[in-house]
Amino acid sequence: MELLFGLFAGLASGSVFALLGAGLVIAYRGSGVINFAHGSVAAYAAFTWDELRDMPGPTGIGNEGGSIYLPWFDPIPEWGFLKALHINNLPVEIHIMTDPPAWLAMIITLMMSAFIGLLMHFLVFRPLRNSPMLAKVVGSVGIMLYLQAVALLNFGNSNRADDGFWVFNSTSEPITNFIGMDKNLPRSTPYLAVAALIIGFGAWALYRYTRFGLATRAADENEKGATLLGYSPQFLAGLNWVISSVLAGLAGVIFLHKTMPNQLNLYVVSALAAALVGSLTSIPGAIAGGLGLGAFASMGVSATSYEWWPDWLPVDGVRAFAPVLVVILVLYFRGHKLPIRGTVGLGRQPRAPATKHPVVGVGVGVVIALVMSNIFISKWESTLTMTLVAILAMLSLVVLLGFLGQISLVQWTLAGISSFVLIRLASDGVKVRPMDFFVVTGPGWPDPLAALGGVVAAVLLGLLIGIPALRIRGVQLAVVTLASIVAIEDLLMRNRPVMGTAAHTMNPTPKPEWFGQYVGALDENSNQTDYWKFTLFAIIVTALAGLFVVNLRRGVTGRRFLAIRSNERAAAAAGVNVARTKMLGFGVSSFLAGLAGVLIAYKMPMVTSEFFSPFVGLAMIAFVYLGGITTVWGAVLGGMLVGGGLLSEFGSLHFEGITQAYINAVGGIGLIVNAILTSGEGISLLVTNQAKALVASMRGTDTQENHADEIVSTEKESV
Amino acid sequence: MSNLLETKDLTVTFGGLNANDHVDIEVTQGSFVGLIGPNGAGKTTFIDAITGFVPTSAGSAIFNGHDLSELKPHERAQLGLVRTFQSLELFEDLSVRDNLLVAAHPTSWYTLLLDVLRMRQSNDEIEKRIEWALEVAGLTGLEEELPTDLPHGQRKLVGVARALAAQPNLVLLDEPAAGLDTAESNALGGHLRGLLDHDVTVFLIDHDMGLVLSVCDYIYVMDFGKIIAAGTPEEVRTNPEVVAAYLGEEAGEAQARSAEELRGMSDTAGE
Ligand SMILES: Nc1ncnc2c1ncn2[C@@H]1O[C@H](COP(=O)(O)OP(=O)(O)O)[C@@H](O)[C@H]1O
Ligand SMILES: [Mg+2]
Repeated sequence: MELLFGLFAGLASGSVFALLGAGLVIAYRGSGVINFAHGSVAAYAAFTWDELRDMPGPTGIGNEGGSIYLPWFDPIPEWGFLKALHINNLPVEIHIMTDPPAWLAMIITLMMSAFIGLLMHFLVFRPLRNSPMLAKVVGSVGIMLYLQAVALLNFGNSNRADDGFWVFNSTSEPITNFIGMDKNLPRSTPYLAVAALIIGFGAWALYRYTRFGLATRAADENEKGATLLGYSPQFLAGLNWVISSVLAGLAGVIFLHKTMPNQLNLYVVSALAAALVGSLTSIPGAIAGGLGLGAFASMGVSATSYEWWPDWLPVDGVRAFAPVLVVILVLYFRGHKLPIRGTVGLGRQPRAPATKHPVVGVGVGVVIALVMSNIFISKWESTLTMTLVAILAMLSLVVLLGFLGQISLVQWTLAGISSFVLIRLASDGVKVRPMDFFVVTGPGWPDPLAALGGVVAAVLLGLLIGIPALRIRGVQLAVVTLASIVAIEDLLMRNRPVMGTAAHTMNPTPKPEWFGQYVGALDENSNQTDYWKFTLFAIIVTALAGLFVVNLRRGVTGRRFLAIRSNERAAAAAGVNVARTKMLGFGVSSFLAGLAGVLIAYKMPMVTSEFFSPFVGLAMIAFVYLGGITTVWGAVLGGMLVGGGLLSEFGSLHFEGITQAYINAVGGIGLIVNAILTSGEGISLLVTNQAKALVASMRGTDTQENHADEIVSTEKESV
Repeated sequence: MSNLLETKDLTVTFGGLNANDHVDIEVTQGSFVGLIGPNGAGKTTFIDAITGFVPTSAGSAIFNGHDLSELKPHERAQLGLVRTFQSLELFEDLSVRDNLLVAAHPTSWYTLLLDVLRMRQSNDEIEKRIEWALEVAGLTGLEEELPTDLPHGQRKLVGVARALAAQPNLVLLDEPAAGLDTAESNALGGHLRGLLDHDVTVFLIDHDMGLVLSVCDYIYVMDFGKIIAAGTPEEVRTNPEVVAAYLGEEAGEAQARSAEELRGMSDTAGE
């Protein structure tokens, strides 16, 4: 009975998965892109709608309303001489009218969605149309990061609650005693399900029976087909982006009374699951998949209310795990151990030259870091250690994404797991500081051991995620790992029975001591953060990790990683155990991520799951791509950009309190530009190439001779 | 002499189509065996099947005393059953030398440790094998090039060299001469015959009839997934069924004649 009711209740969220899934299918058929930003398009529309209608939620937050915010931010700070110069800033806010009627707000919102669709087409996917698949994935992740961040900058990070409108309304009386089950079903649920079916049917008919739909399907097979029907393939692609985005906007608005706008970003995970049920090509398949997934997840949630349900499987975890399960099952059984003959790969990969003279490079880096540390100049201490953490996390990405070519988006979450497990293992139920409100119970392990426990947990989880990667590749692996992020967060990080109080509160790490030496960032005596011993510890760990990655790349293992990245079939034919080597890559990468987690636990006075949010992880990926995903110097460069250095200094000047959003927005743009301009090779290789060309032209030698890459010579200065 | 490779009733089915239909092939140690047949006959599928790249639906394959059915592709390669691909399948972003090193270096569970500590993992034997592989494929001097910078014919040969670097007992070559001109093709044929002196048995698929007829000791002919004839070059060339199915009357004559000439040439080249 519980389960049956759960099934019906789940049709509400199922409908939004279905509509978003249908939009993903349309975009995929229109231009062959899996759009990771699809949920963020819906979120931006939901914000726009909410802002136009301005219905302050229970918190009473809200201004006049009736304004729209264009999907960008004003990069020109309002201070100092810039203000005096009266520079005409980029317009962002446009006031339409106070209190617009629902139908007008709807039209404006959908126009905003269409506008975003056009922007995505013209600024990102059209320039990328002939690029490798990898660049397209990276581009769409960039949009996701950008839109999410811009929404935060334009609409603020306060929670919004919207009562909804018309039949999609959370305030109307529920359907009491729903089909005799003695339970109340929200009145909007059946309307949502019907809306999904009607809109889905309409979209299906549009593609099935109109000339435009026929042309899209023809273009899907080959570009000439569309041309014969009198459509330019690029026009079709653009129109499909508009339709896809308008559907996303519509889904976001009608579902808004059940959620908050910023939550829609990650609905893309369930939407992807729905679209995959329809093989990414069938609209009815996606609609059925979405409704089914919603019902399935909701039944799982209902099941948690039974007596026999184990405590350690929390409600949110079950909900988040449902799409992961669907995605993995669908993809795993459609996948192959080795790609079959004639499979198109991800296309050309960024070059991954071996770093020469790493000891010199790392030595210079260490010296600079030491100079910056508060042994000398304490002002930069926090920036420095944050940079080191970021470098470490990015090294983990260099190994897995750069060398092995496995697009895993989950590594930052593994760092989080390491932090959480460390805290849980090191805690003993005694307050760490008098000011702490909560205490975490635990076995109270001494610290090198607790840290080891954290790292081992990260590695084990990383290996577990690596298993699907044996059969799921490329973009699809990105989908699986994105889904895993949400699942891990809800299933493990916020799981109270597993993590103790650490799951929902902000927790300090119990005093970390390694062999009698205190290595935490918080000085026990002065109660100052950024204690020098921690900085030294972080410098040592990061430097060793850097050397480790350089040597891995220069050795037999690195060559095999690159071989697998390039061609799995050929690697197997050459005697490489592809499965084991992939697992090794996942293990090594997760180990490095786990180390980053340890540093974070020692650094932060409090560790929260927000710090490990999916968008921080995506920002890490954005910046390591920007720095150079295939080299250690790329990680160093990326770490300096994201970890505190220039960007956050600048960001904090005019986006008080939401620096991270500013960083993410810039990271998103950087990711897109990088994908378009350098096929994702990043700044470090760009700089090296330019420098080499310059040197060659000065010497008058043939540039061809300098084909072998040397990174260190140019990058050393930038450390 | 013993059979290095022996298949019995080997059958591969792609959705109802028998791409290999009860194929019996024997390759004796130290011999040079060819497989010919028109496009789509199932030759590549045969190599895919015995190297573990497509599942077989019936039949058995035994290599050097090992039943292959339970072995994964890399395990078969490690046993010395090494293939090349018709469709290149190189490591495009590794240098020619690195392409070979991937195949040449054995690994174990502590390889990563050796890498990280910068311990030397090459030895003279590996270096020699690489040099030799490059020489056989005629790629000496091109070690540092990227495969993408080479002309198509030479890229094919990178695949051959990579297979040789893996220390094969039996090397299965899928149209290695496609993209080479006649002279290059002849030179390759000569070099390949030379492999026999290095204890490498060769199984060759090629479209260049001249090459196949001139270098092989024994030839199988496949059509529609079935072996329709087998024998020495002489027997195959004159087999009426083969001529009808594959060579076509006139073409057969011409091919046979040019093969005659080539045989003389490559025999001397091979010594
Ligand atoms: N993975 C596959 N799936 C379906 N059919 C295949 C596959 N691989 C090969 N075939 C089919 O099997 C037949 C034999 O192909 P192939 O072995 O490539 O022939 P050959 O190498 O002799 O030219 C062809 O009809 C081809 O279309
Ligand atoms: Mg073939």
